[in-house]
Amino acid sequence: MNKTAETIEDAERRHDQNQYLTFVLGRETFALGILSIKEILEYSPPTEIPMMPAFIRGVVNLRGAAVPVVDLCARFGRPSAAVTKKTCIVIVETRVEDESHVIGVVVDAVNEVLEIPGSEIEPAPSFGASIRADFIEGMGKVRGKFVMILDVDRVLCVEEMEMLTQAAASADVVQPAA
Amino acid sequence: MTDSALPTFIAESRELLREMEAALLECEQGETGAEAVNSIFRAAHTIKGSSGLFGLDGIVAFTHVVESVLDRVRANTLQMDRTLAAILLECRDHIEHLVNAVADGKSDDIQLATKGEGLLQRLTARAGGVGSAMTHTIATTPVAPAAGREHWQINVQFHTEVLRNGMDPLSFIRYLGTLGDIVALKSLTERLPAVEEFDAEACYLGFEIELASSESQERIEAAFEFVREDCTLQVRPQAPAAQEVAAEKREVDAKESKASKSSDSRSLRVDGDKLDKLIDLIGELVTAGATTTITARKAGLSELNESTLRLARLVEEVRDQALKLRMVQIGPTFSRFQRIVRDVAREIGKEIRLEIGGAETELDKTLIESITDPLTHLVRNAIDHGIETAEVRRARGKNVEGVVRLDAYHDSGSVVIEVADDGGGLKRERIVAKAIERGLIADGSSLTDSEAFALIFEPGFSTAEQVTNLSGRGVGMDVVKRNVNALRGTVELDSKEGEGTTVRIRLPLTLAIIDGFLVGVGNSSFVIPLELVEECVELGDEHRSPDGDQRYINLRGAVLPFVRLREMFSLRSSASRRESIVVIRCAGQRIGIVVDDLLGEMQAVIKPLSRLFSRIRGIGGSTILGTGQLALILDVTSLLDLCLNTRQAHTAPRRALMD
Repeated sequence: MNKTAETIEDAERRHDQNQYLTFVLGRETFALGILSIKEILEYSPPTEIPMMPAFIRGVVNLRGAAVPVVDLCARFGRPSAAVTKKTCIVIVETRVEDESHVIGVVVDAVNEVLEIPGSEIEPAPSFGASIRADFIEGMGKVRGKFVMILDVDRVLCVEEMEMLTQAAASADVVQPAA
Repeated sequence: MTDSALPTFIAESRELLREMEAALLECEQGETGAEAVNSIFRAAHTIKGSSGLFGLDGIVAFTHVVESVLDRVRANTLQMDRTLAAILLECRDHIEHLVNAVADGKSDDIQLATKGEGLLQRLTARAGGVGSAMTHTIATTPVAPAAGREHWQINVQFHTEVLRNGMDPLSFIRYLGTLGDIVALKSLTERLPAVEEFDAEACYLGFEIELASSESQERIEAAFEFVREDCTLQVRPQAPAAQEVAAEKREVDAKESKASKSSDSRSLRVDGDKLDKLIDLIGELVTAGATTTITARKAGLSELNESTLRLARLVEEVRDQALKLRMVQIGPTFSRFQRIVRDVAREIGKEIRLEIGGAETELDKTLIESITDPLTHLVRNAIDHGIETAEVRRARGKNVEGVVRLDAYHDSGSVVIEVADDGGGLKRERIVAKAIERGLIADGSSLTDSEAFALIFEPGFSTAEQVTNLSGRGVGMDVVKRNVNALRGTVELDSKEGEGTTVRIRLPLTLAIIDGFLVGVGNSSFVIPLELVEECVELGDEHRSPDGDQRYINLRGAVLPFVRLREMFSLRSSASRRESIVVIRCAGQRIGIVVDDLLGEMQAVIKPLSRLFSRIRGIGGSTILGTGQLALILDVTSLLDLCLNTRQAHTAPRRALMD
């Protein structure tokens, strides 16, 4: 009984591995593997955390847990887009070693869930993309166009972001308060 | 018994070993009570028994000898004294090592075994006589206490075929007589049939025999070797009746004298994670309840309002009860220091007694775990630097034996733990001189006693003339302070030169929930721990000019420096029409925090922030408001540091912040 359940789950997992959620940031389309996505929330303004770099919007209450929210535009070094009706927070789970972290990302709009088979994914170009090359897991071909598949563990690398937040916080201390 | 029970065995053994240690230390101090000896014996006995179940022969063999010696002490044939207690303490340590070895998965450590043998030799040499009798009577079952001649209860039921198989039941009983003295024998005749059904070749007999023998259970059972298949045999040790009564009486006494002991047996072990999960859930329940209350109030239905209020009260009660589940008494933690005090005092040749008070004071288990290290440091400090040497004490006309006192009590919503000694006390002048030398304070500044003593918590401060291997390397007090602050606690110190020092640690009752004061700045809400809030005053218009340099007000004649939370945190919202100052007291300083709105008291369930924010300063966590919004909890200590740093950049003198 148990065994069949596992195999079904495995099969589902294999199937899910090729599934991606596509979303819009500015004028570009990106994709995230569906396995790392926990849920999608309607945008509600996060509680601001003081002395944080621009890419950290704050924290939201996700059923009793304080979940940090990252502005992907700012993370990619672009100006943040204005909040519209279509703005969403995608809740993502990342893993660092054995620790899992739940992080929300603000995106301009969510498109659809697609299947992109491995054969349709090209390796990331070493330069020429609009974002850091190590953020890109691959270039998926969807209806003749490329979408950037993000490497979620890199984009939302907690260690790297932690260092950036520290730099931002200490920069604030050195500046004498006017 | 499976290996999955092994962790329980290890945990239980450690607990028993702790009890045993406490009781042994009591004995060593010459207070050998029957209860102490009993508890030592019980511990050894239980450990031996359970290790037998796991087939840990090393522990069984070692503990058995210890137990036998203890049994003689219990029976008053051997006198417990300091030397014996000291050896037994070492034996206890050895058992602990053996148990640890099992926990680490290497139960056959040769070094340990040799060490154990040496110990046993010393023990038997001290106890005398028992050695030869004991070493070969390693019992096979956990329930066999063996000391000299033991009374055995033997129940044997011969099967009907015994006679036909050519065996004579009587010969076995005669053989038993060579192993010891048969004290009593009773024939069991229940199986005898009516005369007409009686078969002369069949055996219907059973015997109940009481045997006094120094042989092992194995040897007695071996007497029936030849009829093994043809009989039902039960051999069990029987305590002499008198001893049984005495034991019972002692148990009754124990029950009466120590109600806490009996409550131990009614407790059950629960996985800590399960408790945490429960408390998490209840935290959410509190939040959800608050949301419902607000919604109900908006709806304006009085019946709904009433029922939500009733619900809220119940939820609050459930929460309080759930938090109590995590509460444990501090006694066992304190008792562990008996050993540390004894060992350290011996090492440096001082006579020191540890007194314990408030052992039944309860606090959160996580707190107890985190407070052990700072406490150890303080106790060592007291022994090492606090208590003078015997000569000095004699010269000062004090009792030669120094006293270190650990105390715990509840005080207005927090727990206070005190480490006190009756030693030399702190020398104020030396501290001040040192602080000036280190540049911590300016020359000629006037300090109150508590300010001067607080200096020893500064990093890199140590006035010990000698550096011993225990403490005095200048690290320590600052670490203690940091650890305590990390638990949202405070440390203060009282000292009288020549009379002693008392270090007082004040801790919150629990780490999960705080009483907070909710304030608003623009759209953001912040929670200030309520115990730090002294009062709230309105910020007068004269201080409101945004370019005004003056960052202090006159609060009833005293200077009160303040910070604007909006500037501190670079919040984007614009200043509001009215502002208030929340006056907080932290680490002996009083400062004002300027906020827009005062929103009142609340109980905040602390939600830790993500690791992303681990380096953030000034904020200790978050909590969820009744509206579902998140509010940030201010970490006032680090906020204060933050102010000081910015102020120093302003070349404002640091002392200005001290009131």
